[in-house]
Amino acid sequence: MSFLLATSGKLDEAAEMGREVLDTAGSLKDPHVVRGLSLAFRALALSKEELAVYSGSLEFSPDDLNLHVKVFMVASFHQMYKEQHKAAVNISRLSKQDLHMWWVVASLMLESKFCKQSSQEKQIQLDLAKRMSEKALEEGKLKTTEELRLYLDVLEMQEAYPQMVDVLAAEGPLATKIGDDPDLVSKRIVLLVKTEAYDEAIKAATDALNVRENWIDYKNYVAATVGKLKLSPADNKQNANSIVESACSAIDQWAHIRGRARGAKLALVELKSSILASGHAALASDAARLLGEQIWLYVDEFSSKAICYKDIMNYFVAHITNPATNDVVQERVRFHSEQLQKRIGLVRESADLSEDKAQSWVNLEKIRYLLQALSNDCSPEAWVSGVDELLKYGIESVQAQKKQTPCSDMTLIAGQRLMQAAFLAFSEPSKRTELCASLFNVLCVLEAGIKLNANSFLLKLYAIRIYLYLSCYDRARALYDSLNINNLQHDTLGFLIAGQGIHLGCSINDLETCYDGVNFYDRSKWKVPRELESVYKNETYSNLLDYIEFHDNLVHSFQRECTHRYALRGEALEAGSQKSIIEKWGQADVISIDHTDETLSALHDNRDIGVISLLTPASMDKWNLEKLTRATPLPCASWVLINTLVPQIMHYIVASDIEQVEAKVKKLLATAEEAGDSLSIYEHRFARGIGQVAMLYIRASDGKQSFSDQLTDLSATILDGLVAEPNDKCNAETLSEMALETIRNVSTATEIYTYAVTVRFALNEQRSPSAKAVSLSLSQLRKAALQRMSALRSLTNSYMRNAIDEHWSSHDIELFMPAATFMRNKRKHIVDSVAKSCFSGWSRSVKSLVAQWEQWS
Amino acid sequence: MATLRRFRAMDMFHFNNINLDQYTDTYDLSFYLTYLSKWPDLFNAAESADSTLMGYIMSKVEGTNDEWHGHVTALTVAPECRRLGLGRRLMQGLENASEKTYDCFFVDLFVRPSNQVAIEMYRELGYTLYRQVVDYYIADGVLPMENAHDMRKALARDVDKKSIVPVKMFVTPAETHFW
Repeated sequence: MSFLLATSGKLDEAAEMGREVLDTAGSLKDPHVVRGLSLAFRALALSKEELAVYSGSLEFSPDDLNLHVKVFMVASFHQMYKEQHKAAVNISRLSKQDLHMWWVVASLMLESKFCKQSSQEKQIQLDLAKRMSEKALEEGKLKTTEELRLYLDVLEMQEAYPQMVDVLAAEGPLATKIGDDPDLVSKRIVLLVKTEAYDEAIKAATDALNVRENWIDYKNYVAATVGKLKLSPADNKQNANSIVESACSAIDQWAHIRGRARGAKLALVELKSSILASGHAALASDAARLLGEQIWLYVDEFSSKAICYKDIMNYFVAHITNPATNDVVQERVRFHSEQLQKRIGLVRESADLSEDKAQSWVNLEKIRYLLQALSNDCSPEAWVSGVDELLKYGIESVQAQKKQTPCSDMTLIAGQRLMQAAFLAFSEPSKRTELCASLFNVLCVLEAGIKLNANSFLLKLYAIRIYLYLSCYDRARALYDSLNINNLQHDTLGFLIAGQGIHLGCSINDLETCYDGVNFYDRSKWKVPRELESVYKNETYSNLLDYIEFHDNLVHSFQRECTHRYALRGEALEAGSQKSIIEKWGQADVISIDHTDETLSALHDNRDIGVISLLTPASMDKWNLEKLTRATPLPCASWVLINTLVPQIMHYIVASDIEQVEAKVKKLLATAEEAGDSLSIYEHRFARGIGQVAMLYIRASDGKQSFSDQLTDLSATILDGLVAEPNDKCNAETLSEMALETIRNVSTATEIYTYAVTVRFALNEQRSPSAKAVSLSLSQLRKAALQRMSALRSLTNSYMRNAIDEHWSSHDIELFMPAATFMRNKRKHIVDSVAKSCFSGWSRSVKSLVAQWEQWS
Repeated sequence: MATLRRFRAMDMFHFNNINLDQYTDTYDLSFYLTYLSKWPDLFNAAESADSTLMGYIMSKVEGTNDEWHGHVTALTVAPECRRLGLGRRLMQGLENASEKTYDCFFVDLFVRPSNQVAIEMYRELGYTLYRQVVDYYIADGVLPMENAHDMRKALARDVDKKSIVPVKMFVTPAETHFW
């Protein structure tokens, strides 16, 4: 019955009934009761009670191994490690099986790692786990690599690296298993480097690389070589050279094995880079030159591979940047620029010959991009230079019609260059008309690329960003939907679109996205803990720490909080009667969503921002297109806190709890102020508006104080967000205002008004004497707003489409002329289609916002 | 350049550069976790020099008696990491484990007949068409409904290569299940 109540949503009744049964003497004798009750408590997420069911039933069957296992699994499910350990010990005593001995080791490790206790206690637990594992090894009971991995985890927590090396050098049947497991082979090499056993590390890496190619083994081979080099005398150049030559010669041998040249040649770059970074005095004079040359040897040989740039980019950065000062060494930039110039012209001319040649051009173009950024090139002209050629190849060539991959890449690079130039040239507020027109041009390029290659998610990701930048929700949403985002991707990629609908007047679509996300989080909440049971049963202990970390990241996901808050904001915008709105806020669970500094800092940012691939290091803000193309800052901790406080304020308004309203408003305003630039101007206005809504309620509900100032402030904030008197004719400035401000301003104002309506309803419901006056004022405000909205709709429908054609499609910004002319001449239909997307996106937003105002009649 | 290592649950937070490709699905969490829990050594990833994921293989062992075999559930490589032999390396890892660790008779996989690039790679690795599974792939809005080619490669334990000789050329999906 308790389980049925729990699953039908009657949580309090279910919990009460469950606890009653639990406290009833003898009830846990019955296995059916035990089963039903444990299910009920699990559904209610009452971990202690669930554990108490099985612990209690053990009183009647103390030697029932299955019951002990249940206790163990329940404790594991709820991450109650002390209880899990106790259960493991009981199980091990009863069963005497090796399997259960490893459960004890695992639970000791987890207890030590995750329980709040003294370091001495932690050490005791680890020591015990270590001794048990040692004994198992000695007695031949450590048989599988999974048990070995568990033992290694225990040792690693103790930083017992030499002992880990010894364990991995085990003999007998285990040695064969270790040898067949590349992860363990590599781990041993890593440990040898860590313990400064460089000669042994070199030998082990050599053995590994003789058998199979693996980058981590090359990397450790190099690390060991450089470690050995560091130990050699600084003034003995001969000795240092001999160490390096020996390494080069070994790597060269691997380079001659069929199919392994790329790895070995990259290892040589890694070696030269590590030598430069080591600053070894004996080799310092030549180190930089040798690395520069080695980088180009690699590029020359492997630029026909798409991965080449990804392989080599960090070495360019390492070579060009002075590690001590972090400054760019201009001499090295010049060297690379010269090398690039020698090659790029020839490669460009031969790009038509083969896909490999075209791919080489792509890689050299990426290097050109990087070098420009590293040399702090701020000239927009330099950034658009050559874009027309990229476009010709990427969109117009025979290869493009054949949908060859390098063409897509080329179009993307062209788009990235145009974006970079636009932000460099027109980032000042006075140049926003040019910025918008330029970004429109970027969209045309990206859409042309998408038209040719609908599978290119990178083109789509950038297009989503730019459409949202220009406040065009519809097309951004359609592109997002075409990416087929599923399951965990709601957590990692939801940031691309979630919340944008609310900011752009399309809250219903946004709610759908948020509900998909919320559903995913709800469905997934217990999946990992449930899977832990499988880990113990399958004895795959290597998953334990990984699963626990994964679960923690998912449960405390930043995006989860954002999705939830956006869903609340979207729901707040839904129309309803006084009764339904009062009920909604009155019944809202605002306690469970509360946050403290501690809970906020425990949130994990799983947003996969890196998927928006960059050609420059992410740390170079001025060249970071992912950051530059954000329409508004990504939600931060302050954002989460503010969006937690807003529903709380509304709840306490409806509950007429003035003290709480005051406390929450104070916190809201302080949080917004502290947040500074990490919040957008719209979020600041939203927070201010909610503050004014709350202040209006506080004064109006008092019945004795004047609230006219509060009404005036609130009206001003809302009306400020609405276009006062739109021009009867649309010019370039109106167009850029529409793209960059108008819709977001109107959306924010509309949202604030929606909350003001709740105050009106609350005052009515509470029979406040001020209710009528507030109601009248808000009605007048709405009337004024509707007039403005009507004018905005008329402006949008009558002029915007033509204005886009006039000011964006046909704009004559000199900087963008080559690209714009190319697009107009060669892909006019794409230009038209982007113009249509922008117009229909705005039109839809305005229409929805008008409907939003109309609904509060 | 790639490091081949075991796939980790935490990798799922970063595999979008692979999974955003239209031919790769992002499944429910339980699907990945089940494979990790049961066959951690058969779920491997390739990681680039800058620590981004390049591709992964999900596989398992199943069947009874002389049908005991390794099975490829998903093999995928990020678009920019193709033509580097990563698919081959990931497949070889599975074959090694199937042979040395699990003592299997063969390895098998299903592939869309339209995916000629993949079929060619499997052929080069020694896989041959064993049978066709009728209407195995359901239309998903991007790709059409198709049969699956069930391709097999015999391992050393199958001395007479019996496992790759088909009994019936066309079978239903239900007939391919190993209970």
